[in-house]
Amino acid sequence: MSSGVVDDLITELTRLPGIGRKSAQRLAFFLMGMPDAEALSIAQAIIRLKDKARFCRNCFNITEDEVCSICDDTRRDTAQICVVEEPSNLIVIENTKVYKGLYHVLLGALSPIDGITPERLKINELIERVKKGGVEEVIIATNPNTKGETTAQYILQLLKPLGVKVSRIAYGLPIGGDIEFADEVTLSKSLQGRNQM
Amino acid sequence: MITKTEGIVLKTLKYGEADLIVTYLTPDRGLIRAFAKSSRKTKSRFGSSLEPLTHARIALWGKEQTSLSKITQADILNSFHPIRENYNDFVYVSKLAETLISFTPEAIPNIRLFAFFLNILNIIKDTDLQGSTSLHIISQIRLLKHLGFAPRLSSCGRCGGMSHDFYPDAGTTLCPSCVKDPRHQSKPFVKISNQAIHFYSHCIEWPIDKSNRLKPNQGTLAELSGILDRHVSFMLSKKLMTSKFIENRGTASKRQ
Repeated sequence: MSSGVVDDLITELTRLPGIGRKSAQRLAFFLMGMPDAEALSIAQAIIRLKDKARFCRNCFNITEDEVCSICDDTRRDTAQICVVEEPSNLIVIENTKVYKGLYHVLLGALSPIDGITPERLKINELIERVKKGGVEEVIIATNPNTKGETTAQYILQLLKPLGVKVSRIAYGLPIGGDIEFADEVTLSKSLQGRNQM
Repeated sequence: MITKTEGIVLKTLKYGEADLIVTYLTPDRGLIRAFAKSSRKTKSRFGSSLEPLTHARIALWGKEQTSLSKITQADILNSFHPIRENYNDFVYVSKLAETLISFTPEAIPNIRLFAFFLNILNIIKDTDLQGSTSLHIISQIRLLKHLGFAPRLSSCGRCGGMSHDFYPDAGTTLCPSCVKDPRHQSKPFVKISNQAIHFYSHCIEWPIDKSNRLKPNQGTLAELSGILDRHVSFMLSKKLMTSKFIENRGTASKRQ
């Protein structure tokens, strides 16, 4: 029978997404076998994260300061705002090194059936940012699924009267895939959004 | 064991890193939930076949009685993406899907319900009245009737007499003489207009594809929508998430 501390850790680890009881057990026993310094370093990193990480007051990216490094960077193009659902999406777009504008993280996507309403997202904050002026284009980069599309359409309705250019990231086929495996919706969207060569 | 069937995606739930739990309405297995491994990855073989409202031919792996089969294949029969691309239509069809999930027991085959819901999706997709509130309310009324939970508004539910007072706790209108029953005294009720009663009766009696001929005014639609919401909330002992969404959306757009 396991001791109380191990059981406690297993119970806590099962709170993490994708971690069931068995995975939690494996992680708990792995942590027990780790050198003390390494295990404590993990614990300290979690404590520091909860202590220092917060949302940027402009774009709601994760930061340690009042304003994130992207909003604080004077070399960025402040006329463009790219709207994403989660901070993890922002990191992926940054990795492309193509986009040089600012971001706005919604912290979710609209979902009528799950009761995720506009109030629960940072949509009003986006509209306020655009209303302040200086923004020429809003690029909506929400996920290419139903929730992301619903969110994009809702934002478009609110931004249209403000006279700002609103664009949506392109739909299409993933690079490295075969056309024969593409579904009809993806393929029809990629045909509609084709580019002249 | 692999089972092949067809289904309409009613709802999806993110699970783990890149997986989904999909709620299907199927003709031969009723309402089921199934697990789709790695379906949120960009190069997933499922593509858009697991998006809400998609009608697909599916293959499921697992025992028939298992609570969560694994989806091994999903071929789109009709994507219904025009509905998903129309904001108003999608919000209201989500309400229908939530109503269906809330009132339907799991794993009870119901071919007629499947055919009915598929028919509703086809009508909403093909109509030139896209985004029409009238069609949304008619669909909701017909769905409730199909599920056996439609309120009775045409006459008193006890004596059949004329009445304009709807009692959500009774699921019907009650005339003043029947309200003398101590069970209904001091219970909240809603006054219904003649127009709302007539429109409702037509919606119940007419085939849904002919209901587009009905042209109710916005006041009647708002009145009926409120009554249906109260009725459904009472039956389920909770408000539908989609009803809350529609209400909040209204206040949000007014604020803009």
